[in-house]
Amino acid sequence: MAPGEIVLERASRAFALAHERNRTLKEAFARPFVRHRGGRSVVHALDKVDLRVAPGEALGVVGRNGAGKSSTLRCLAGIVPLDSGRAECGGRVVSLLELGAGFGPEFSGRENIYLNGALHGFGRDEIEARIDAIVDFSELGEFIDVPVKTYSDGMYLRLGFSIVAHLDADVMLIDEILAVGDESFQSKCLERIADQMERGATLVLVSHDPRAIERVCRRVAVLDAGRVAFDGPVAEGLPFYHRLLADEAAADRPVRAGETALG
Amino acid sequence: MRYAFLFEQMVRRELRQKYKGSVLGVLWYLVNPVVLMGAYALVFSVLWRIVDIPDYPLFLIVGLIVWVFFAQALLAAAPSLVLSAPLVRKVRFPREAIPASVATVQLITFAVMLAILVPVALAVRGSLDPALLLLPVIVTLLFGLVLGLSLVVSALHAHYRDVEPVLGAALLPWFFLTPIFFRVDDLPGVADHRLIGDALEWANPIAPFIQALRDVLYTGAAPSLGVLAYLLGVAVLALGVGALVFRRLERDLAVIL
Repeated sequence: MAPGEIVLERASRAFALAHERNRTLKEAFARPFVRHRGGRSVVHALDKVDLRVAPGEALGVVGRNGAGKSSTLRCLAGIVPLDSGRAECGGRVVSLLELGAGFGPEFSGRENIYLNGALHGFGRDEIEARIDAIVDFSELGEFIDVPVKTYSDGMYLRLGFSIVAHLDADVMLIDEILAVGDESFQSKCLERIADQMERGATLVLVSHDPRAIERVCRRVAVLDAGRVAFDGPVAEGLPFYHRLLADEAAADRPVRAGETALG
Repeated sequence: MRYAFLFEQMVRRELRQKYKGSVLGVLWYLVNPVVLMGAYALVFSVLWRIVDIPDYPLFLIVGLIVWVFFAQALLAAAPSLVLSAPLVRKVRFPREAIPASVATVQLITFAVMLAILVPVALAVRGSLDPALLLLPVIVTLLFGLVLGLSLVVSALHAHYRDVEPVLGAALLPWFFLTPIFFRVDDLPGVADHRLIGDALEWANPIAPFIQALRDVLYTGAAPSLGVLAYLLGVAVLALGVGALVFRRLERDLAVIL
């Protein structure tokens, strides 16, 4: 695989909603033959998803809550394995999937930069070379040396994004967290993402904010119930997504007397 | 190795969490085995007089520090993955680094205790033996056993949450069956039940390690080839099983934690 290339081929992953599971050794030994088939609901988070992203491309991913956006990122990042199919990224993958992902709460922002860099496979020298740029970009000032458990959501975003944006990744996977930042920092983030893309990085950005997608991505995939419902230019994809939401809202609404489903 | 720096970071994290940054913290851990040694020596050698072993405190402490390393490492490793759930669920990295860093921190503690014990042992025995050169070998193999088992218990506990308490409960009788404060050959019952005697010495993977360390530090002789072969075999087996079990069980860790 070329660095920066992303391939999802018939990627499938289901989660069983664990109502009852053998969670202790005692249960496993005491009830070895009880199978909890009946009444166990299965969620198909990814259902034969096919997507290919070329190096240097920016793909936006939208969908309702539960459509499979975060699961897709987690499978691409290698955190959750697939049941079948392929989900691979070429080159160095850096992900920002949740606020405070990978932070040790007792440690300062600076120490967490080292820890986060290390988690992504960077060595001490590589991090040293970047640490000043990371601290500057975050605009955290003296708070960089304070334990991160005292940070607000916005500060977590500043630190987390700073780190991710300076690790010179081939693939950046970013989940819907930008909304937590204030307008000016969000702008700064999107600019920085654009810079990285000019360097040749590939981006997969999950967001509920159409403006963020429009600003950075030219292509968007709309996920619905684990499937790719639309894959194409942003100009067509976002209206498609809105229509999908409107249709579903209309379908959910109980029909009142005198009203038809069409209006 | 790309993740060498990560491993270093995790060991520092563990060390800091355990010792809260104080150098004396490591020395604190010496207090536990020394107190135990004092108590056992008092009861078995002085008061009850059922052991007739020269330099009994030295005999005791060698076995005790091996046991403390083994038991503490496993007890800390078992919940380690669960405690690091936020990390495991959100970032991709080699997860074996977690139980490995826990075991390494215990190894550091063990090494410090050994460093203090060796000169004491030499002073008590009054001789410097070439068998001492085997010490790093024995310690390395012991770490192999501990690391392998740490991988197993950490992965198992993530799936079955009573592994940690079960382990805690099992370690108590295990301690008493390990020849820490007695010699198997000294037990009166062993003469009539030779099989049990052999089981005590060989079926318990920790026993030959204590035997080897006693040979070097307490007796001043090299361990027998049989013991050394056993140590090597057990270490390799534990690492192999540990790696296998961990690989199998860690697939869906991000989902079940």
